[in-house]
Amino acid sequence: MANNDMEAQEALARDFQPALEGPLVGDKKSSLAITEEYAKADPIYVVKTSALPQKYSHYRPVLGDGNCGWRAAGFSYFETLLRLRNKAQLEEEVARITSLNNLLKTAGGFSEWVYEDMAEEVTGLLSDLANLLPHSIPQAEATLRERFNDPSISNSIVYYFRLLASSWLKANPASYEGFIPDGLGVDGYTKNWIEPVNQEIDHLGMTLLIDALLKPVGFAVEIVYLDRSEGSQANSHVFQSEDANGVPTNPAGPMIHLLYRPSHYDILYKDQAPQIQIPQNTNIQVQRATSLSHRHNIQTTPAVMGDMSGLDMSIFSCIPGFSLQQQSHHGFPSQYNTTPLEAYTPSSISVSPISPGASSAKVSSNGLPATFPAQPPPPNSLTPPTLPSTHSAFPPPTTQLPILTHLPAPHRPSLSSHTSLSGHPLSSELSSPSSASSFRPSKYEWEAAAEWEGPVVFQTSTFKNSHYNVAHYNNPNFQPEEWTPESEDPPTGRKRSS
Amino acid sequence: MNNYDMEDTQNSAPGALPAVQASKLAPRRGPDAQSTTKRLQTELMQLMTSSAPGISAFPSAADNLLAWAATIEGPDDTPYQGLTFKLSFAFPLNYPYAPPTVLFKTPIYHPNVDFSGRICLDILKDKWTAAYNIQTVLLSLQSLLGEPNNASPLNGEAAELWDKDPEEFKRKVLGRHRDVDDE
Repeated sequence: MANNDMEAQEALARDFQPALEGPLVGDKKSSLAITEEYAKADPIYVVKTSALPQKYSHYRPVLGDGNCGWRAAGFSYFETLLRLRNKAQLEEEVARITSLNNLLKTAGGFSEWVYEDMAEEVTGLLSDLANLLPHSIPQAEATLRERFNDPSISNSIVYYFRLLASSWLKANPASYEGFIPDGLGVDGYTKNWIEPVNQEIDHLGMTLLIDALLKPVGFAVEIVYLDRSEGSQANSHVFQSEDANGVPTNPAGPMIHLLYRPSHYDILYKDQAPQIQIPQNTNIQVQRATSLSHRHNIQTTPAVMGDMSGLDMSIFSCIPGFSLQQQSHHGFPSQYNTTPLEAYTPSSISVSPISPGASSAKVSSNGLPATFPAQPPPPNSLTPPTLPSTHSAFPPPTTQLPILTHLPAPHRPSLSSHTSLSGHPLSSELSSPSSASSFRPSKYEWEAAAEWEGPVVFQTSTFKNSHYNVAHYNNPNFQPEEWTPESEDPPTGRKRSS
Repeated sequence: MNNYDMEDTQNSAPGALPAVQASKLAPRRGPDAQSTTKRLQTELMQLMTSSAPGISAFPSAADNLLAWAATIEGPDDTPYQGLTFKLSFAFPLNYPYAPPTVLFKTPIYHPNVDFSGRICLDILKDKWTAAYNIQTVLLSLQSLLGEPNNASPLNGEAAELWDKDPEEFKRKVLGRHRDVDDE
């Protein structure tokens, strides 16, 4: 971090005074309290803190005693294990922590007498939570809070995490050396930043703790940065296990949310969000809902499109579940989530349960400009995904097509034809959003869809049967219009598959 | 201070502790409620079985593990060669998560020690870690005698003389040194 940034951070730190009295780990409260706290602050803070409760329903204050980052992450580790309601996993963690003693000893160079009592507090708490879990979850939660608010126990647990982070760094110096500040070297850094008892966690320390403690259990951590940077929402950064290509290895895993204000950490919660085990279902729904109400303007990009550059992917935006923002939800590292669209979409989103290739290819080959009513070009544009296809008779690249997500239905018949093509009832695919989360269209489907040469007829009845966007099939509250003889119009209704 | 006797505390601690702490410790089970005591007992055992040469430490009184007396011998080839210094250790209740308060009881002329015996050493302040112990503190102090940190002296005159006039420095060291009785 540049010196100027450091100074700016220091200045910000002076503005915020974390609580120096009160419990080490406080009670969970509505995150509206943060908004109120900042109501009279700098306008940037007012805007950002008022946006906070929309994404995070609750927060838990942590005492700013120089250990808050360690304590917040550590508490969240136990709390998340508890929320998963999995006794076996708690017991596995006892075994893992016990086995990590070896790392502390060999890589960390710590004597047994230094860490054994601290490690015992960690494993003891894990075992106690495992034993309480089948009997009384409130009692388990109370035990967790009590331990973390008993200074002697809490400090032992927190210090264990420091030793773990220090040992992890010493065991993997090559991965982190570039991030050690001021040329301190591994030993100098751990002596000055990790091991001193009241030294607040820095960025590398948090990274080490997440890598050593949280990623191995499949927990992701989102840190929300509340600072005076530009924007109407706090920036956030997600730390999670990724494979060599940067794809999250456990995208559906639980996520811990931490609120960072310069030199202070608290815990955030998304409690309206669904149960932590099934986060994707609702994510998908929300994503669809947002895509229904937003216009997207698509500009095809020749560099990306290659020989099928004319194929306009923009039409995907009308297909439920095929998110125009899917890239940002596949957890590419260093993703800063700032757009309002992404409220309550923590980890992942997937492509449509249907193959979009059919509709787009057909519609395109039938002459897009003719089938799309003229619309004023909306302001954004995006880069469409590539598609393994070889269509060439399409409009030239960089054709800018204004697409309203409430699309006036030209794709509807092609959806039907795709249904008959693939032999799957469209309705069954569309009406099971929970299965959509893991669905990836295979390239064979894409090709089959793209090669479909059958006639596509935009029949008047089909057109009228459409509700502009098939996304409504995935809306649990969707009520189809019912045909009534009194109606002047021809019958309209929910047509599933033909 | 007698509330924190070693063996006795382990089972009777909640009753003997102040009300606030007793309530916090009440839900605890097991004998390690006083992790500080346990830690200090461990350190005592280590010092008794494998003490480094030139240093020693022991609890001041049999019934109080939170106050220790220690000695270090002046390292060879330093102005302190041949001299012995007594020190006191006062351990906070949250030791090792806070450093002990260490004072020179023997008067010492040193750039980083003031005339009350207070010591300026980073590992006794913001660089304290729970991985340090009495022995590492004593060894650090011993090396401080031979390598003072003249950049942040408590005794400015000593810092200056250390560089400019080693003979005069040695004279001041010997002049100030005097044996003190055990407390």
